[in-house]
Amino acid sequence: MDPTQFDPEKINEIIERYQDKKWGLIPLLQDVQETIGFIPPESIEPIANALHMHPSQVQGVITFYSGFSLKPKGRYVLKVCRGTACHVKGSRSLLRMIQRDLHLEEGETSPDYQFTLETVACLGACFLAPTMMVNRDYFGKLNPTKVTSVLSEYSKDSKEA
Amino acid sequence: MKNIVLTINGKKISSPPGTSILEAAGKNAIKIPTLCSHADLAPHGACRFCLVEEENTGRLMASCVTPVAQDMIIQTDSPRVTGHRKNIARLMIAEHPESCIVCNKGNRCELRMVAAQLGVAETGLYPMPNYKPFETNNPFIIRDLSKCILCGKCIRGDHELVAVGAIDYNDRGFPSRPATLYGQPLEASNCTFCGTCVSLCPTGALSTHNTFFVGTPQREATSICGFCSAGCSLTMGVASQHTTGETFIDRVVEVSPSSDIGTVNGPTLCVRGHFAHDFLLSPDRLTHPLIKRPSEEGVASLQPCSIDEAIATIASRLADIKRLHGPDSIGFIGSTKCTNEENYLFQKIARVIFNTNNITTSGILNGQALLRELDRKTLDASRVNPLSGLENAQAIVTILADPDHSVPVAGYHIKRGVKKGAPLVAIDPYRTDIAAFGTIWLHPEKSTESQPLPHDIINALAARLIHENGADQAFMDQKTNDPHGWFENIVSVNPDTYAVQAGVSPEKIKKAAEMLKGKKIAVVLPGDLLERKNGKEIFDAAFNLALLTGSIGDTHAGIFILSLENNLAGAMDMGCVPDMLPGRRPIEKPEERKILEDSWQTSLPTNPGMDIHAMIEAAEAGTLKALYIMGENLLRTLPDPDRVRSALEKLDFIVVQEIIRNKTAEIADVILPAAAFAEKQGSFTNMEGRLQSFDAVVPPPGDALADWKLLAMLAEKNGHTEDYTTVENIQREIRQIIPGYSEIGSHRQVWVSQPETKQSETFAFAPLSAARATTTDKDYPFSAFIGNLRWHLGSGTRTSRSGRIKASGKAGEIAISTKDAHALGLNKGSKDDGGAVIRLVSPFGAVSRAYVVDPAVPPGQVFIPQGFSGNDLMQITDFSALKDTGSGWRNVNVRIEKIISSTD
Repeated sequence: MDPTQFDPEKINEIIERYQDKKWGLIPLLQDVQETIGFIPPESIEPIANALHMHPSQVQGVITFYSGFSLKPKGRYVLKVCRGTACHVKGSRSLLRMIQRDLHLEEGETSPDYQFTLETVACLGACFLAPTMMVNRDYFGKLNPTKVTSVLSEYSKDSKEA
Repeated sequence: MKNIVLTINGKKISSPPGTSILEAAGKNAIKIPTLCSHADLAPHGACRFCLVEEENTGRLMASCVTPVAQDMIIQTDSPRVTGHRKNIARLMIAEHPESCIVCNKGNRCELRMVAAQLGVAETGLYPMPNYKPFETNNPFIIRDLSKCILCGKCIRGDHELVAVGAIDYNDRGFPSRPATLYGQPLEASNCTFCGTCVSLCPTGALSTHNTFFVGTPQREATSICGFCSAGCSLTMGVASQHTTGETFIDRVVEVSPSSDIGTVNGPTLCVRGHFAHDFLLSPDRLTHPLIKRPSEEGVASLQPCSIDEAIATIASRLADIKRLHGPDSIGFIGSTKCTNEENYLFQKIARVIFNTNNITTSGILNGQALLRELDRKTLDASRVNPLSGLENAQAIVTILADPDHSVPVAGYHIKRGVKKGAPLVAIDPYRTDIAAFGTIWLHPEKSTESQPLPHDIINALAARLIHENGADQAFMDQKTNDPHGWFENIVSVNPDTYAVQAGVSPEKIKKAAEMLKGKKIAVVLPGDLLERKNGKEIFDAAFNLALLTGSIGDTHAGIFILSLENNLAGAMDMGCVPDMLPGRRPIEKPEERKILEDSWQTSLPTNPGMDIHAMIEAAEAGTLKALYIMGENLLRTLPDPDRVRSALEKLDFIVVQEIIRNKTAEIADVILPAAAFAEKQGSFTNMEGRLQSFDAVVPPPGDALADWKLLAMLAEKNGHTEDYTTVENIQREIRQIIPGYSEIGSHRQVWVSQPETKQSETFAFAPLSAARATTTDKDYPFSAFIGNLRWHLGSGTRTSRSGRIKASGKAGEIAISTKDAHALGLNKGSKDDGGAVIRLVSPFGAVSRAYVVDPAVPPGQVFIPQGFSGNDLMQITDFSALKDTGSGWRNVNVRIEKIISSTD
């Protein structure tokens, strides 16, 4: 799966729904992010034109929110919690382990677009520390074995696909 | 609404609701430090320096974004407040790079000022400079975002004042910075280099790219911009600079918008105003008089002489020619770039001393015709048109106007008006910046049987407005007459018919009409409209639209003309016109002539004089013997330069009074070195009717003198004893003679007074035009339009001598439409393939230039910008088009020839 091969028509459909509605910038961007997996930079200008904004403004909003990304992300986005509770429970070691296993630094995406590795300040699940998320699923009370099995589960998944 | 009463620093203050605490304090002479607030920008609350304490609640709040509330007790300088301010200053300085000490902003840096006032010296913090790349690649603006304090003034200026939107905040937290789209360098973005951000920046994050000066100017003085007709107020930074030998002279080293209140430009300028004034320092400046004399080998050449000798030669040669060949054998060409006083003196010399009405300016190429037509149509009721009217307009219609390139400051007013909610209907076959910005863009979309013209679109709009009951019937009944039955004619046909004829979908016209319905509209026209094909018909249609909507005579509506030359209106008011005396008095009216004859105590020639076209023809025929040219580069400005050159070479005597040694000066017999606007005193009248006086900022170079001084010397030499030793004396005479100028020189900025229109007189609808475009010529299938790009003004004599404009690498590429480029096999822009060149051939000549494929250009048309590469494009224009206004020298039919370069 190559997320850079998206159907531009899908973006046009979204833009059309919000034509002339300046208030709709964030929902529009959310829709694009959700549908395509990222916000292709070349869609900034059509979005700005439809909403009568400057393209630089649209880009400003995209870069402000970490929920929006101008770069394609992996099929599975790993968010390792680096909050205080998780830190105390050894999340740094877990992060290093994941980095080593996936050959990824923070913020990077694997060349096959299988994984993106991110960190977050707190997932709000401190009672399960150390925690991480893969897309929308939480994994708590992690230890190296558990992390390895989670990673292999998603890697295996990819081979099946 | 009742005023709000509050206490600031123990002082009881009453303020209208909605005022911010900062404003209320400022009005009561209580100063609160700020870095991000600016009177012309919306409050932002970014820098937090303006924190104040409210005693009732103990809250600290940013005074710029907090409105006053009843019974507030505000402390602006309590120990708690100053403590916080000091911390902010410490944090900002800790983030600042060490290059701060060599920063050109020096003691003008507002951060430095605020820190110094707070007594912050050492921060006591670990320095954490936030290094960003230093961007110096463009010749105009240096971006050193390491020094950015994120006040957002550049971004807000860009969005709120000039509405370009080149930059916005990107990212969040520590990496946050103003950035262009895709983080490109400015020159690759849609930045217009107006420099507004530079003049707003409180620190050294944005500065002008100055190759000839480093440091802080020693003093500052105000002046009025000498380029387009907006007449922006400038602050010029002056430094004493080492020139040749041991002499130091004051030179203009920096230009920024003046901080005066109520100027036309406020804190904005354009790329020309901000950066092109370095032409003042050009090595081509004339510094001493030159006279043509045979050298020892017998070859005549221009050699230095004294001012006295030059003036004496001019006086005696012109007197001889007048005696031998009669007064009308001498022609005078004044300047739309010279001051009112100078043009007044110039035409007086022509008329009184040499008894001829052969006095004109290059205004005939650049919009004078439109001003005259506007006078005629509006019965002189449109002399005063403040641009602020555009900003507060109910609706705006631009017709072929491209303010972003012609009069950028007017463009800012339009865009601000749109941001305030006025719908903008842009009518233009080209997708100009303003068309892209507009609420709706009307242009021929479908090909019709005959080539649709802009006035078809205007008529379609008018017809639709009438159909939708969107016309101002009361105004039409009281204020208009319709001698040609325009109204009857336009309603006799179904409105959709016009839309179809215009090549625009009826739905789109309907949509535009709905936007304009019941509103008074501001119609924006290019100053050169009558120098374009069918300009007359377009103006007629536009004027009818204004009458239909009752827009004439309203402050926020009416007709706005974007004139290119900064004193176009002034030169005309002063009488540098062959058939008009000062005050736009028609020469053929004996009663008008009598007023001036009495005042000047002379008798005036009664026949209208020759215009430029007639002068050149007379020179060819040998009836014109001498020409006195003040501030005009005819060989660069006029169509068919070869023909003009051979005509001028036939003359017995040419005087060129100029600031720059240019092509025309080269063929002169005597050259008088003149002072540019920044080097003299005088006044200009801008496109709004704003009469702006200014003083010299720096002395003229070398022996150059202000034009009025040179003219006064000439008058004196001819035995005229009027005392023209000061500008005030000339102004006193103008005040008495020209009714609208009774206030000239009294203040820095006054308005010309509007001639009183008779209440009973009504405005006449122009006839419904049926003019069609001529069928396309097989040999010359493309229609070329000669227009302007923001980098150059007019023919570019001055702007092409700006080092920074030159360094921008703009080559004036010919723009062709995507469709035509494809058909001709020209699919690369000049940037990609290293300057592929094409040749445009017209019936009059040819020009070769690099080209770009520009989707904004409609098929069948090509756009060539003026001012570039010696303005060589005048070779393809038709000289005879100057004969009648409305014949359109700016449009030429051409064919495109591909030149295969040897590298291919």
